[in-house]
Amino acid sequence: MATVTIKHVTKSFGTTTVLKDFNETFGDGEFVTLLGPSGCGKTTMLRMIAGFERPTEGEILIDDQVVSGGKTFVPPEKRSVGMVFQSYAVWPHMTVFDNVAYPLTIRKEAKGDIRQKVERVLDVVHLRQYAGRFPNQLSGGQQQRVALARALVAAPKLLLLDEPLSNLDAKLRESMRFEIKEIQKALGITVVYVTHDQTEAMAMSDRIFLINRGEVQQSGTPEEIYNTPANQFVADFLGKVDFFKGEVKDGRILLAGMDGQSIPYDGPLTGRVDVAIRPENLRFRDDGELKGVLEAQYYLGDVDDCRVRVGDVLVRVITGGSKYGKLKTGEKVRLAIRDFMVFADDGSLEQMLEIRT
Amino acid sequence: MKGTSAGTARLTRVLLALLALLAAALGYMGVRGLHVQTDSGFKYEGTFQAIYALSGDTAAAWEKLKPAAEKLPEAERGAFDGAVLTLLADAWDTLMGEGAGEEARALASSDGGMACRLLYATCTPYLSNGKLKLAKSARDALTALPQEELPALRSELIRCLTDPEAEVPAALEKAAQGDARGIALAQALFVTAGSEAAAASEAATVIRKEIAASDTALSVKAAVFRMAAEHGISFVWQFIVNHARTVIAAGVLLLLDTVLLALLMFREKRWAFDIKWILILLIADFLLYFLLLPLVYLMIRAFSDNGVFSLERFRHLFENPDNRTALFTTLAAAAATMVLGTLLAFPLAWLVGRTNLYGKKFFRSLFVLTYMVPPYVGAMAWQQLLNPNVGMINRVLRAVFALGDGPGPLNIYTVPGLIWALTTFYYPYAFITISRAMEKMDPSLEEASRISGASPVRTVLRVTLPLMTPSLIAGALLVFVSAASCYGIPSIIAGGTTGMYTVTTRIKEIYSSGQQNLNDATGLAVILMAIALVILFVSDVLLARRQYTTVSGKSVSPAMVDLRRWRVPLTVLVVVFALVVIFLPFWTILSISLKSDMGKSLFAAGNFTLQNWGVIFENATLISLRNSLVFAAIAASVGIVIACVMSHLLQRTRIRGRGIPNFLITLGSGTPSVVIALGLIMTMSGSFGLNIVGTASIIVIAYMIKYLMMGMRTVVSAMSQIHVSLEESSQISGAGWLRTMRRITGPLILPSIAAGWFLIFIPCFYELSMTVLLFSSGTQTIGVQLYQYWSTHSNAVGCAMAFGILAAVAVLNFILGRLTKGKFSI
Repeated sequence: MATVTIKHVTKSFGTTTVLKDFNETFGDGEFVTLLGPSGCGKTTMLRMIAGFERPTEGEILIDDQVVSGGKTFVPPEKRSVGMVFQSYAVWPHMTVFDNVAYPLTIRKEAKGDIRQKVERVLDVVHLRQYAGRFPNQLSGGQQQRVALARALVAAPKLLLLDEPLSNLDAKLRESMRFEIKEIQKALGITVVYVTHDQTEAMAMSDRIFLINRGEVQQSGTPEEIYNTPANQFVADFLGKVDFFKGEVKDGRILLAGMDGQSIPYDGPLTGRVDVAIRPENLRFRDDGELKGVLEAQYYLGDVDDCRVRVGDVLVRVITGGSKYGKLKTGEKVRLAIRDFMVFADDGSLEQMLEIRT
Repeated sequence: MKGTSAGTARLTRVLLALLALLAAALGYMGVRGLHVQTDSGFKYEGTFQAIYALSGDTAAAWEKLKPAAEKLPEAERGAFDGAVLTLLADAWDTLMGEGAGEEARALASSDGGMACRLLYATCTPYLSNGKLKLAKSARDALTALPQEELPALRSELIRCLTDPEAEVPAALEKAAQGDARGIALAQALFVTAGSEAAAASEAATVIRKEIAASDTALSVKAAVFRMAAEHGISFVWQFIVNHARTVIAAGVLLLLDTVLLALLMFREKRWAFDIKWILILLIADFLLYFLLLPLVYLMIRAFSDNGVFSLERFRHLFENPDNRTALFTTLAAAAATMVLGTLLAFPLAWLVGRTNLYGKKFFRSLFVLTYMVPPYVGAMAWQQLLNPNVGMINRVLRAVFALGDGPGPLNIYTVPGLIWALTTFYYPYAFITISRAMEKMDPSLEEASRISGASPVRTVLRVTLPLMTPSLIAGALLVFVSAASCYGIPSIIAGGTTGMYTVTTRIKEIYSSGQQNLNDATGLAVILMAIALVILFVSDVLLARRQYTTVSGKSVSPAMVDLRRWRVPLTVLVVVFALVVIFLPFWTILSISLKSDMGKSLFAAGNFTLQNWGVIFENATLISLRNSLVFAAIAASVGIVIACVMSHLLQRTRIRGRGIPNFLITLGSGTPSVVIALGLIMTMSGSFGLNIVGTASIIVIAYMIKYLMMGMRTVVSAMSQIHVSLEESSQISGAGWLRTMRRITGPLILPSIAAGWFLIFIPCFYELSMTVLLFSSGTQTIGVQLYQYWSTHSNAVGCAMAFGILAAVAVLNFILGRLTKGKFSI
C-alpha cells in the first residue's frame, strides 16, 4: 500500500498552464478523487502520477521514492501502478484471460501462479466464465471490468482510475461504483480516481479534491466540501444551489430584488454578500420567512421540484414527493429556510460560475 | 407493400414485363441481323460502326476517282478490270487470310465499279502516303511524261499487273520490287490517270486519316463490308445488320437489368421504380460491360480451346522460356519488394508517427507524396545511376574502391536492380497503410501495457505490432500486387535488350508483335489477374474482418516515444534515406535533362544546355499533353459524379443492391492495369457490340475503371464524417433535400469532392501501363510520348520530359494538399 506525495507540481503545455502548484499527500489506503469540470487538469495530474506526463516543476513521490522530479524519472512500467483508462484500453487481439494475465507475464511469473491469480481476480469482477472470449464479444460494462481486473491482477500498491465509468449507462454506472468501492475496501489499496461526476465522487471518496482551472479549489471529505464549501464555485459544482445577492444589515441579510424581504444572519460577514441556498433546504411552511408565488412544479417521483417566484427572483425548491398536487400553481406560498451559505461578494460570482462546463 | 398502392404495384409489374419483352425483342432482332451478316457469304466478321465512320468518305473518294477510271480507253477497260480483280484478290488474301480473295473476286466481277471501289478501300493506306508509296521522283517522272505517251505506259502497266512475270517499266523498277510490285503498279496506274490524280490522292488522304483513327486492318475490312452491305440491304435492316452485335448487347444488358430490378423489388417488397435503383443499375451496367465482360472473356479464352475446357493454352504458354522467366521474375521481384518495402515502411512509419524524430511532419508528407510520382520516372533515374558502365553510383564506387575500369560493381539490369527500383517506388504504399493504422490507434492501449510493467520495446512487440498486423499484412499485400502489376518500371529496366521480362512487359511485347500470339498474352494476363484478385479478396474481406477498430472517444494525441540519445542518429539515418531514395533520383533526372554530354558533370564547362527541353516543346508533345489533360479531365469529371452518387447511396441510404456497383468499382481498382487494357482490346473490337479500339473513348473508360475508386473513397469518407444529424437538422428547419445539399452537405464535402477529382485526375494524367496498349496515332498521351522520347531520341530528352511531368504532378499535388489541408486519404 502506498502514499502519494505531490510537491508543488506545475504542468504546462507550451504557454498554457494546465495545473498550478499542486501540493498534497494522498494517504495509505485512501480513496482520493480528483473532481472537476473537463479541461480542469485532473487527468493531467493522474497521468503524471502514472508517468505518462512529466511535471514541468515540482516532484512526485510514491511512498518515499521520487518517481518524477528533478533529473529523476521512473517510466510508467517501473512504477508498479494499476490503471484503468476511460476507453477501457482492452487489447482487441488478446482474450480476456490474456489481457488480464499480461502484467504477470511481463513479470515472468510461473504459468500456474498466473492462472491462479487471473482466475481469482476474474472472480472478483465476475468474469470467470468469459476468460476465453475476445473483447469484441463483450459488452461495455464487461470490457470495463476486464480493464479493472487487469489493473488489479498484479496487486499494485496504487490504483489509478481515469473516468472509468463515464462510458457506461446510468444503471451499470451505479452498480460499478459500489463494486469498485467494495474491492478497494477489501484490498485496502490506495486509489486515485478522476471524474467529473460529483455524485460518483461523493459516493466513493474518502477525500475529494475539487479542481478548477488547474487549481485546487477545496479538498476534504465529501461531507466537508458539500456542507462548508470554500467558495461559490465549490458550492455550485457540488449539488444544486441558487445564488442571491444581498446585503448584511442589523443582523439580517436584505435580499436584492425580493421586495425588501430579509433573512436572519449572525455570521461575521458585513456589507455585500452572496447567499447560496440549496433547494432541499427550503420548505413550504405557513410560518416561513419568505413570501412568494408557486410558478411551476415538476413531479419526479421521489421528490417534487418546484419554482417559486419571490419578488423578481425565481427560487428552486425540492420537497418530498408527497407534496405534489397539494399545492396549486399560482398559489401564494411561504418558504422556511433550513440552512444557507453566505460568501463575501467580491463581484467575481458570475466569472467564477461561468467556467463550469 | 410499403408506401405503394396496389395499383402502382400492378403498373410497375406490367412495365417490368414490357421491359423484358423489349429486351427479348432487341436480342431477337440482333440475332437475326447477325444471321444476315453471316448469310451474306462473308466468313470474316467486321465491325459495322467503323463502316459507318468510313462510308461517307469512301463514297466521296470514289466519286472523285471515278472520272479517272472512266478516262480509260474502251479497249483498256476489260484488261484493266481483270488486272484490278487480280490485284484485289491478292490484297484480300494478304489482308484477310487465304480464301478471301475468291470471295472478293466473286463479288466484284459482276460490277467493274464495285471492284475498283473494293480495291480502293482495301489498298487505300498504300495508295497515297502509305509505307509502299512511290518515291516522289518516280511520281514526278510519271506525271512529267508527255500526254501522248501515257496510253502506252498504261497498257504496259496493266499488262504487268495481269502477268506477274512481265518486266516493269524502267521508271518503276525500284518501287515495284517483290511484294510491293502489285501495289506500286496500281499506284502508278492511278497517278497516270491524268489531272484527276491529284483529286484522287486528296481523297485517299481523307480516307487514310479515318482509317488511322481506327485499327488499320480492321477498318479496311470494315470498309469492304460496308460496300457489301450497301449492296441490296434496306436502310432499317442495314442499321440492324450493321449494329447486330450492339443490338444484342443492348438487349442482354436490358434483360439483365430488368431481372435484377425485379429481384430487388421482390426482396424489398416495394413495387415502384426507385430512382436510386436506376442509378445503381446504370453504374453497374457500365462496369459489367467494360470490366466484368472483358475479365470473363479473358478467362474463357484462356481456359477453352474451340469451346471445350482445356489447359492447352497454358501448356503452350509455359513452353516458351521467355514466358516462364517473366512469371518467375515477376513473382520473385514482387515478393522481394514486398518484404523489403514493408521492412522499410514499418520503422519509418513508427519513427515518423510515434517518436520525437526531428522534422517528422516534413518526412511524413515527403514519403506520402512520393506515392504520387509516376513509377517510370524513378526507374529512369535508377537506370542512369546504376548503369553498370556509366552509372554515376558505379563510377563513384569504382573510384573510391579502386575497382578499375570494368563495368559494375552494381548493375540495374538484373533482378536485384529491378527489385531495388520497385522498392524505392512502392514502399510508400506500405508506409501510408501502416502509418494510418498507427495514427488511428488508441494510445491508451499502449499506455495500459506500459502501466502493466512492459518496457517501450516490449510494448511495441506485444501490443503495437500485433494490433497493427492486419494493416501490416494489408500494406505488404498492396505492395506485392502493385509491384507485380507494374509496367512502367520493368519496361525501362527490363527492356528488350536485357532479355529480362516481367509478366506486364511480356504481355506488351506479345501484343506488339502481332495478333497470332495473343493467346499467350491472355494466359499471362489471367495468371496476373488471379494473383491480384486473390490478394484483393484476402485484404478486403479476410483482413478487414480482423481490423481492430481502436478509435477512442477521447481525442488524445498518440503517446510519443522519446528517442533521447538516439534522436540525432536516427534523424540522420532518415535524412540519408530520403536523400538516396527521393532527392538523388530527382536530381539525376533534372541534371541529365540539362546536360549536353551525359557522361560529364552538369557544371563542366559548356555542358549546360536547354536543347533537350527544346525538343520536348515540339508539336508532338503538345498534342500528347492536350490528350493527357483532356482524357484525365473527362475521366475525373465523369468519375467524380459516379463517386458522389455512390457515396450518397452507400452513406445515406440503406437501399438494397447498392453493394453491387461498390463491389465492381473495388474489383476494377484491384485489377492490374495491363489486364484491364488487354481485356478491353479483346472485347471492344466489335464482337460484343462496340468497336472503340484505337479511339480516345477506350482510354478514358480504362482510366475510369482503374481509378474511380480513388475518388469514391475520398468522397465516401468525407460523407461519413458528416453526421446525418447535420442534414436532418437542416430538414427539420424546413429546408428541402436540394437546399440541404446546397447549403449544408455541399459546402461541407466540396473540398473532398475536389480532392477526389484530383485523385482520379493525377494518376490518369501520367498513366502509362494501360495507355501503352490502348493508344493509336492521334491518341498518344504524355506517358507514351515520354516513353517514345526515351527509346527513340535520347535519355536526356526523356529526362527533360520526365521532369516536366514531375513538375506538373508536383503542382497538382500542391493544389490537392491545399484543398484538403494536407490530409488526403489515399
